[in-house]
Amino acid sequence: MTDFQSAALPAIATRGLAKHYRKRTALTDCTITVPEGRISALIGPNGAGKTTLLRLLAGLATPTAGEVAVLGATPGRDLALLAEIGFVAQEIPLYRRMSAEDHIRMGARLNPRWDGASVRQRLESLSIPLGQAVGTLSGGQQAQVALMLSLGKRPRLLLLDEPVAALDPLARRQFLATLAEAVAAGGLTAVLSSHLIADLERTCDHLILLAASRVQLCGDIDTLLAEHQVLVGPRKDTTAIERDHTLVHAVRTARQVTLLIRRKGPVIDPAFEAADVSLEELVLGYMGQDAPPAFAHLTSVGEDQ
Amino acid sequence: MTWLVWRQHRNQAYFAAAALVAFAVLVLITGLQMASQYHSALTACTVSHSCGNLANTLTLGTPLLSLLVTLTVVVPCLLGLFWGAPLVAREFETGTSQFAWMQSISRGRWLTAKVGWALLAAAAWGGAVSALVTWWSSPANALNQQNFQPGQFDIQGIVPVGYAVFAVALGIAAGTILRRTLPALAVTLGVFVFLRLVIGQDLRSHYLTAVTVIYRFGHAWRHPTGSYWLIAQGLIGPGGHALNTPASFSGAAVNGVPIAEIPATCRALAFQPNLKLTSCLASRGYHGFISYQPASRYWAFQGIETGIFVLLAAALIAVTAIVVLRRDA
Repeated sequence: MTDFQSAALPAIATRGLAKHYRKRTALTDCTITVPEGRISALIGPNGAGKTTLLRLLAGLATPTAGEVAVLGATPGRDLALLAEIGFVAQEIPLYRRMSAEDHIRMGARLNPRWDGASVRQRLESLSIPLGQAVGTLSGGQQAQVALMLSLGKRPRLLLLDEPVAALDPLARRQFLATLAEAVAAGGLTAVLSSHLIADLERTCDHLILLAASRVQLCGDIDTLLAEHQVLVGPRKDTTAIERDHTLVHAVRTARQVTLLIRRKGPVIDPAFEAADVSLEELVLGYMGQDAPPAFAHLTSVGEDQ
Repeated sequence: MTWLVWRQHRNQAYFAAAALVAFAVLVLITGLQMASQYHSALTACTVSHSCGNLANTLTLGTPLLSLLVTLTVVVPCLLGLFWGAPLVAREFETGTSQFAWMQSISRGRWLTAKVGWALLAAAAWGGAVSALVTWWSSPANALNQQNFQPGQFDIQGIVPVGYAVFAVALGIAAGTILRRTLPALAVTLGVFVFLRLVIGQDLRSHYLTAVTVIYRFGHAWRHPTGSYWLIAQGLIGPGGHALNTPASFSGAAVNGVPIAEIPATCRALAFQPNLKLTSCLASRGYHGFISYQPASRYWAFQGIETGIFVLLAAALIAVTAIVVLRRDA
């Protein structure tokens, strides 16, 4: 426990984490590390296991296999840890007949480091009525209430499941700015899930990519982008490239081939034109989608739920 | 946590309190009327030395009122349905358990507060209704001495407290296991009614061995007094075998034995005066018997039945706790 409290240790570390339901594998062989102070984007298509991972980290679900350490403790076992984690579930559960003010007072009674004043102030600045039953607020307003309440706990780790899905673009930007501020102030790590990287691209500096219940990618975004490259060249044998690097994804047309690779060294094949990879290309490449970058961009603009 | 429980359920509490007050007013007004009616009738019959027949001549209250008071038998079940079943199930259904469990308190404390207050409220409410009914029934208990009979036994004294606690615990357990309010309601209703019927009809009469008296016709015998609970009565033939006594028979009968079962020689005397039938049976060696629970056992039975339901409630709460502590949100 004391070892984990030193700054060098990650906020989240899992090894071989798995969650099976009776007939379904929700998450398997999940090994990730999120260093302290990061805002991590947990990206994956619907049903990839994002919610399961967040619930395991929050201690709301118990793993079938593997290990999980959050802020150096085991979630679900440790009451002290519970006070350090802020969590907002995807369906934004709040007590519908209670007002935001009621929720703030409840937070004061049930949490040791409660900061009700800042929750009130943030909600007031968003013109959200504090005295009205939250069930009568709009979906976006309810999301704001839940998100601000999770910050009111003054957590060291925030776990937010699809936090921006219910927000309009302006509210989305405001919320992400609030979050970035809170993380910048220090002592806070956040994991935000979404099925669209475009939602979180500007705010996050860390990426966990899930697909088909498995971790495809996990790391700092800058590092990941530097490690990957897009190669475009004439359609020819790519075995040499596949031997020297890790081929993530390939799109082959009649005349040319586009490769997403994880580099193990410099690319020296003159037949290929190397280009930096965008975060979106990277994500889509690992999700195994065939859409070329131009179309991938269009895909990401689509409605979220 | 108490604050949250109160904030979540205060409307239910207000509604329940209002209903209780309305019921109390009705019971107090009619109860006072009945008490004074009974006492003036008692005074009058003492003067005319006709008190032995009072139970046949005096009717207390109105049938509608009696029906209303008898209907309080469903109160524990309603508490189980409206307080018990949704208590945890609603939280799972709306996802608010995920919200509550991510505050800085243990699930154990969360459950203890919710369940503790719900059971306490059920006991208080069931107890208050029962106290009112018991008080209201006291003239009728003195007059008709039926408070040990099934039906009256179930709405007076302390058993309604046990029923209420059990019903709410059952609702909570069903809601926790099923995680949905509607199925929990159905299970609560079904299991509660089933257990109440089985325990009331088959088990209760065996809590203590019934007292059985066999007596000869035409001789003095120790007839039970007060509000005893008649379990069985009938005739024993000269060979020592009991005559067939059907559970429910509304025709002409001697000691519950239908006339048709009686030996033909005596049967003809059935509707003649001066107990000729009885002497006929006595002369042929027939005995009467009665099997009953004495009035003095009333509170022992109340205590045993309450204990059974409280123990069942405790077992259900233990199951609830295990499920809440072990299962995913």
